[in-house]
Amino acid sequence: MSNSVLALLILLLPAAGAILLAGRGWRLPRIVTQIVGPGVVWAAFVVTVVLFFNQVNGDFTYWTWIKSGSFEVPFNLLIDNLSLFMCLVITGVGGLIVTYSVGYMAHEDGPSYARFFTYMDVFIFSMLLLVLAGNFVFLIVGWALVGLSSYFLIGFWYERRSAVLAARKAFVMNVIGDVGMILGAFVVFVQFHSLTFAAVFKGLVHGCAPTLLCIFGPVPDSGMIELAAFLLLVGAVAKSAQIPLHTWLPDAMEGPTPVSALIHAATMVTAGVYLVGRMHPIYDVAVYAHGAVAIVGAVTALFAATIAIVQTDIKRVLAYSTMSQIGYMFLAVGIGAYGAGFFHLLSHAFFKALLFMAAGNVIHAMHDEQDMRKYGGLWGQLRPTSIMFLIGALSLVGVIPFVGFFSKEGILGAAFSRPDNLGLTVWGIGFVTALITGVYTGRMWWMSFAGKPSAERPVEHPHEAPPVMLIPVAVLAVLATVGGLIQTRALGVGPSLVSDYLDRVVTAQSWEENSFALHIGLVTMLVAGLLFLAAYRMRPLTARFPWAQRVLEHKYYFDELYNAVFVRTLDRAADVGFRDVETPIIDGSLAGAGTRTTWAASYASLLQTGYVRNYTLVFVAGAVIVAVLLLARFAS
Amino acid sequence: MAIAVFFVAAAMAIIGGVGVISFRQPIRSVLSLVVVMIALSVLFLLLSAQFVFVVQIIVYAGAVMVLFLFVIALLGPARETGRGRLRFQAGLSGLFVLAFFGLVYAMMQGIQFRQPEKTDLSVFGTVQSIAVGLFTSYLYPFELTSILLLVAAIGAVYLSRRDER
Amino acid sequence: MGTLDIGGSQLDTSWFLLLGAILFTLGTVGVLVRRNPLIILISIELMLNAVNLTLIAFSRQLENLEGQLFALMTMTVAAAEAVVGLAILVDIFRVRDLEDIDDLSELKG
Repeated sequence: MSNSVLALLILLLPAAGAILLAGRGWRLPRIVTQIVGPGVVWAAFVVTVVLFFNQVNGDFTYWTWIKSGSFEVPFNLLIDNLSLFMCLVITGVGGLIVTYSVGYMAHEDGPSYARFFTYMDVFIFSMLLLVLAGNFVFLIVGWALVGLSSYFLIGFWYERRSAVLAARKAFVMNVIGDVGMILGAFVVFVQFHSLTFAAVFKGLVHGCAPTLLCIFGPVPDSGMIELAAFLLLVGAVAKSAQIPLHTWLPDAMEGPTPVSALIHAATMVTAGVYLVGRMHPIYDVAVYAHGAVAIVGAVTALFAATIAIVQTDIKRVLAYSTMSQIGYMFLAVGIGAYGAGFFHLLSHAFFKALLFMAAGNVIHAMHDEQDMRKYGGLWGQLRPTSIMFLIGALSLVGVIPFVGFFSKEGILGAAFSRPDNLGLTVWGIGFVTALITGVYTGRMWWMSFAGKPSAERPVEHPHEAPPVMLIPVAVLAVLATVGGLIQTRALGVGPSLVSDYLDRVVTAQSWEENSFALHIGLVTMLVAGLLFLAAYRMRPLTARFPWAQRVLEHKYYFDELYNAVFVRTLDRAADVGFRDVETPIIDGSLAGAGTRTTWAASYASLLQTGYVRNYTLVFVAGAVIVAVLLLARFAS
Repeated sequence: MAIAVFFVAAAMAIIGGVGVISFRQPIRSVLSLVVVMIALSVLFLLLSAQFVFVVQIIVYAGAVMVLFLFVIALLGPARETGRGRLRFQAGLSGLFVLAFFGLVYAMMQGIQFRQPEKTDLSVFGTVQSIAVGLFTSYLYPFELTSILLLVAAIGAVYLSRRDER
Repeated sequence: MGTLDIGGSQLDTSWFLLLGAILFTLGTVGVLVRRNPLIILISIELMLNAVNLTLIAFSRQLENLEGQLFALMTMTVAAAEAVVGLAILVDIFRVRDLEDIDDLSELKG
């Protein structure tokens, strides 16, 4: 089977699964859904692995979608190391999560169950389209579809008002990002008169494509490139829940836990990182936008970590943690350490999905209770899950030998080594964030698993999850433990498989690792680890400063700010529009057309007296008028 | 002499016309119309329309008016009673009619007659000349008119059928 | 040009036209004012006759036979129309005694 067919197959398999489940899923026995749902994802994973081992590289065009004069938009898939890397993450981790949800969602009734897997398969398809697309158009299509799938999945339990509102919020913010993406694509098109990545990137390096409509001459205008980069960054920020378009992510926890694991930890939120990586030729030129990526990432990382300290819902802690870790990824790609950034993407996928799914096990055992204050003492009762949760937690903090250490310290080391102020600044922020990560992770761990069971526990003797839910988690735990060995650059020795693999496609890190960075990295780990332990005893610092506590609990009042500035204004505008424009003018003109006609007709019907002589009178009157006209015409 | 004939015929026509619209009983109205028609046929003769003169008397005065008489005989002598319901009808009618007449009169004042074609007046309006015109240049209208008559006849027969109950 | 040489005397076409106008006007008045349907039909016939007179007069003035032919057609049409009109009237009279045409006002509104 040729490579181009295989590449297309990666996309078609989840799509076929989604279509089958959408059409027939609820009518077929549940076992069909249970096999097809995860099965197509695993099948796509197998195909991806095949392509990976064959080291396939190619830009495969399947057909031309738009052809208008010299403007062409093909449907093409770009298979290179970066896209295969992302596909592996998506299908691999995605496969584990979808398998997990076979058990997690078992309580749903038939149609709902099938609907869930339909949505999951749609999501996987959309995400794969996003990373495989070879031109801006299909990138944006995938981008938008991913946002749509997210809406479906967050609002899966649509009877819950809070879920529906959260889904809507996520979708609206994603759309803001979509607009940025589209505008960025417009700017790119204006510059290069093409939307395929191959043409655009070639144009960046070698100058404009030789068409008549390349307005700005042979060399692209760097100002416009900056603009495009910033606009694309808006899209990335929205999708990856970075400041300022981050408020949707905590609310998105209304969705089922597998959704949170897949979309809001491992894949969708990493789309922004992928975007910066894919667009690295643009960002290499647009230095200001590139720096902005790093700053946004660093600030978000710190910001989210501080909020995580005061959260009481276990999933919210993980949500803010995700926000923070993605900030690290943005930081990395923002300073040009693409390899480190993507390695963290991989490792984060491992341990965050692990954490979410383990938390899902806990929630499941606790009969859907998510408040950590009502947990306590789970270590004794849910041993397997607790162990795996611990692995994930230590990975998150960045403790050797777990993968989180290698990836996070990889980033911080690169930042520290970068010989300029930007590098040092973001390192500093990242360092503080790592410490705070230790705090909130520790707090989460001790509160839920250690100590005595809380008095408010809903379930006295929780029982472990079934194997279908334990095994995927266990797989991820193993990956989180040994995964670090593929890139041990943070230790100064050993392989750098991820970076080597990706450096063929994205720009390599252009500076040397500072040898001091290693020591700094170990120190970071140590302090963070200590804080993790200390969190057992530590009352949150913020308890001593109630005002700070309040600020953190209200998430720096972002939601309130947006509500006041945007939501209420638009609500009022909509009210005015409805009251003063829609109802009187638009509805009115439509209904009014009817009533006016009837009113006019009621007057016109007065002419129909029914008397013949009246009608003849009208004839004669007409004759008089004609006579007058004739006379006037011939008299002049 | 022709002038005298004209004025006598004109006077008869006008008196008859007034009679048509004035009599209460329809039968008298019909007879007035017959008077008008005869006067007009004389005028036609004066205007060298021999064939039309004959046709007017035979067909119009002779057949159509007889038809009217038969219908009046069938329907009985109806009389108009009462004042009538439409209050403004008479006034408005007078207004419009006067306006109309005034306009026509004004039109007549400005009339500029065209030069007549050169024809032989001794054969003008004779049966032969009418026949030539009717069956050659105006054959098409002639045939259509005959179809029209056919349709009218069928219509009349149909409309006056008694429904067998 | 408007003068006609008839039997040695000079007549004017406009006299015939004026007479036609008067008769037409009388007919119009009859149609508008009278309420007996038969008389209305008769007045219509009067109007048609007046038109015929005008046609014949112009035919003589222009020495063109078309006017007379047209008058013949008009006569035919008038006959047909009288026939059908009377048939309808007879039909109505079968159902009700109609004296006043204003009684036929079912098409009101």
